[in-house]
Amino acid sequence: MAHHIEGSRNSCALHGALQVIEAIEGVVPVIHSTAGCGVQHYFGVNRLNAGADRFGGPPVSNSNISEKHVVFGGSSRLREQLKNTVKIVEGDLYFIVTGCSTEMVGDDIPAMTKEGRDQDFQVIYANTPGFRGDVHQGYQLAVKALIEQLPSLGKGEQSPIEGLVNIWGIVPHQDPFWAGNLEEIGRLLEGIGLKPNLLFGYGQGLSAWNRVPKAALNVVVSVWGDAPALLLEERYGTPVLKLEGLPVGSAAGRFLQTVGERLNLDVTRTENFINGEEKRLNTLLASLADTYYRAGFQREFDLIGESAQVVGISDFLAGTLGLIPRTLIITDNPPEYTREALLTRLSGLVEGNGTEVFFSEDLAEITDLVRSSAVGLVLGSALEKPAAVELGIPFLQISFPLSEQIVLSRGYAGYRGAATLLEDFGSAILSKGYNSHVSQESPLHTASESALYGS
Amino acid sequence: MSLLKAKSSRTREKRLDTLNAWQGNVSAAVTEFSDGEPVKRIRTFSQSTQDDLLYALRLLAALRNSVTVIHAARGCVAAGIFHQVTKGNGRWIVTNLDDRDTIMGADLKLRKAVKDVYLRYKPEVIFIVSSPIVAINNDDIQSVVEELHEELELDIVPIYVTGFASHHAVTGYDTTLHALLKYLAGKRGANNKNNSVNLLSVAEHPDDRREAERILTVLGLELNILPDEASPGIFRHAAAARYTLSLDQDTGNYLGITLRDEYGVPYAEASRPIGIGATGRWLAVAGKALGLDEVVVKLFHEQESERVQKALGDFNLNGVRVYLGLSSATSFSVLGLVEELGGEVIGITVSRLDQLHKERLDDLSLTYPTLQIHVADGQPFEEANIIKRLSPDLYLGDSAHLGQIGRLGIPVVSLEETPVLGYNGVLALARRFSAALHNRTFGAALARTPLPYKESWFRRSPNWHIKKEVK
Repeated sequence: MAHHIEGSRNSCALHGALQVIEAIEGVVPVIHSTAGCGVQHYFGVNRLNAGADRFGGPPVSNSNISEKHVVFGGSSRLREQLKNTVKIVEGDLYFIVTGCSTEMVGDDIPAMTKEGRDQDFQVIYANTPGFRGDVHQGYQLAVKALIEQLPSLGKGEQSPIEGLVNIWGIVPHQDPFWAGNLEEIGRLLEGIGLKPNLLFGYGQGLSAWNRVPKAALNVVVSVWGDAPALLLEERYGTPVLKLEGLPVGSAAGRFLQTVGERLNLDVTRTENFINGEEKRLNTLLASLADTYYRAGFQREFDLIGESAQVVGISDFLAGTLGLIPRTLIITDNPPEYTREALLTRLSGLVEGNGTEVFFSEDLAEITDLVRSSAVGLVLGSALEKPAAVELGIPFLQISFPLSEQIVLSRGYAGYRGAATLLEDFGSAILSKGYNSHVSQESPLHTASESALYGS
Repeated sequence: MSLLKAKSSRTREKRLDTLNAWQGNVSAAVTEFSDGEPVKRIRTFSQSTQDDLLYALRLLAALRNSVTVIHAARGCVAAGIFHQVTKGNGRWIVTNLDDRDTIMGADLKLRKAVKDVYLRYKPEVIFIVSSPIVAINNDDIQSVVEELHEELELDIVPIYVTGFASHHAVTGYDTTLHALLKYLAGKRGANNKNNSVNLLSVAEHPDDRREAERILTVLGLELNILPDEASPGIFRHAAAARYTLSLDQDTGNYLGITLRDEYGVPYAEASRPIGIGATGRWLAVAGKALGLDEVVVKLFHEQESERVQKALGDFNLNGVRVYLGLSSATSFSVLGLVEELGGEVIGITVSRLDQLHKERLDDLSLTYPTLQIHVADGQPFEEANIIKRLSPDLYLGDSAHLGQIGRLGIPVVSLEETPVLGYNGVLALARRFSAALHNRTFGAALARTPLPYKESWFRRSPNWHIKKEVK
């Protein structure tokens, strides 16, 4: 039985589906639910993510069902709404998604979709009530609907495209840096001669989605990409490469090597590309060294975020920058079967360190953990800000929701992302923990001085 | 029967004949509301808009020493998170109803959530907000409220919003205010009359609340401000106050009339104090009702007017054609301010139209009988169609879809987080108007991104999808 949650950051399945749809050019969401579902999503997701939104406001089509439809059924209202959406809103594909009320009433969405198709509307659907799960379930439901229903609209093709790689598992907006992360992963794959299929973001429309079955490889960045990759493996036999998390810094090099091996790419070309990227990052690290020592960048940190983020970012901070992970909190409820591997991987980031790893999406619990860890840097979401402020320690917002950053195209993935992460976390330390009169008495000094790493 | 005996307030459409879909000129609007109950219209195409649950969350976010438990599927708390991280307001718990709960009910879950929250935070009051799921499966919130009230000796206030029973999000304010009075204000006559004056501030900008407070405190009034930033104890005090003043007749109406009819606190509807003249009139009416010295009030107004005029310098809106897309009472009052500054309002979109606006419409029909009024909450496809035809020089709005309006290439000023009230409101607005008109490059840049609508839609009449409801 699902438990109550304080300060839930994982919204609901409908919102997750909307996040998928809004990130694909030419696809128009048609919400069949009460009027407020779309605005909840706009306030609680889009606006806490720099307001990045393709339509310039809350969702453009919503059946806004009223009491009458709850009592007598809302299918006819959906029929009318769909017909008029196709007339008014520009789009290549109309995607019906549902909310709690219409699912409880039992409106027949497949039948309404079929009616639309009979009139030559390009329309697909997914049942996405909030009681069915959180944003990650919504991502999976919407992606599944696209994979399963697009071919029946007659545009899917199956002959493979050499070197085409689909990227799965980055949930738009739930990873605030989704667009930048995808672009960087794309840049890296292009660097070793492949054709990335990013599927979400600028320039990504139905033609990208119609190419999905033709890929040579499905790369899965987070556990939320498992389901689509599995589905594609079953349907089209496409091989799958699962990553441990977001590849940040040198992890991106290892990622490219693996991809190269799997697809039998020219080893020299791959190595040359990786060496070029490594050299650039190393130069940046070297130029930062003075500030790193002077401002005491090397310190303990807490990191609160989604599993792929926590793995990728803490791996870079601990594995390259010498920071010390204290408390890592994973907020996206990864399935049980993945948890042990995550625990082993993360608690061993720095040998003999005793890094603690928790799974929680409850703000009360997370706040207690942050309060009790007394570290020198907190990386988390806007929801952790009060705790960081209370402790007087530097704080950087890196996970959803954000309240004081604009993220349009920045990302933390890859080599470029590693440099961006350096800039952001370094700035957080400089602006809040270094050289300010507050820092003289802030717990960060006592914390970093009291933590002694004995032999 | 006592109003407060009911589980919830009546919806706006039942109580005030409120329309949410309509288009026509001022004269037609007057006719609509004078020939008995207006005919209700519906949309055959609609876009996402606010609902009563969202308004309840917005209002509760501003209450102190409280925690809110939303008895809903997990997504219904999303807007609460917005209030929490952008304004530091509210503490939100969602009961996270799942598949099974929609069938079996989940009052045990609610009970556990309330108890856990109480033990952790020991708030003065816990609010329970219902949701579409709970409204459909009829989960028994009331017995949880009654039992835990006894057990924990704590005020627990259930707010029965549904997401679908009303077309008007503002019904959510009524529902919430109903519950706040019912559970926190006590019985009529239970408290000794006090000398304070209630100032109703419902989801106002903090600067607006402070401006009203400044003005009224200077005039020597002892204020009881609610519900914004109110502690639970204020409601008892309010029920025994000597008078109620409102800053917005639309949002404060239910609280005002209920304090009047249930507790005998006098209340009179008034237009919003937006603009110099309107603020003066608002103050004069309030002063008269409260027995303030007329000369003192007048002198204060003159001093403040002079200060504002001086700060405005030669700023004006002469020759500027303005479109307003604002909630109703704000729209009608900003119209006055635009006039005062020398501009011309060429059309308005209001979130709703009802009996509360009748008097204002009558006034307007004398000066602007042909002014176009569009009634819509969050329907930018209609607004964009209207604005394309009118091509105004400036758009003033408070909705979440200004990102679309901007793509029409016109200067836009958002009133969503800009103070508008009183003398200082005039200055805050004038600064925004001035900047928007002074450099219009951002609008030009946005105009390079198309609106999400087909060209053919703009050839249709804007009210194409507004139909009379067939019952």
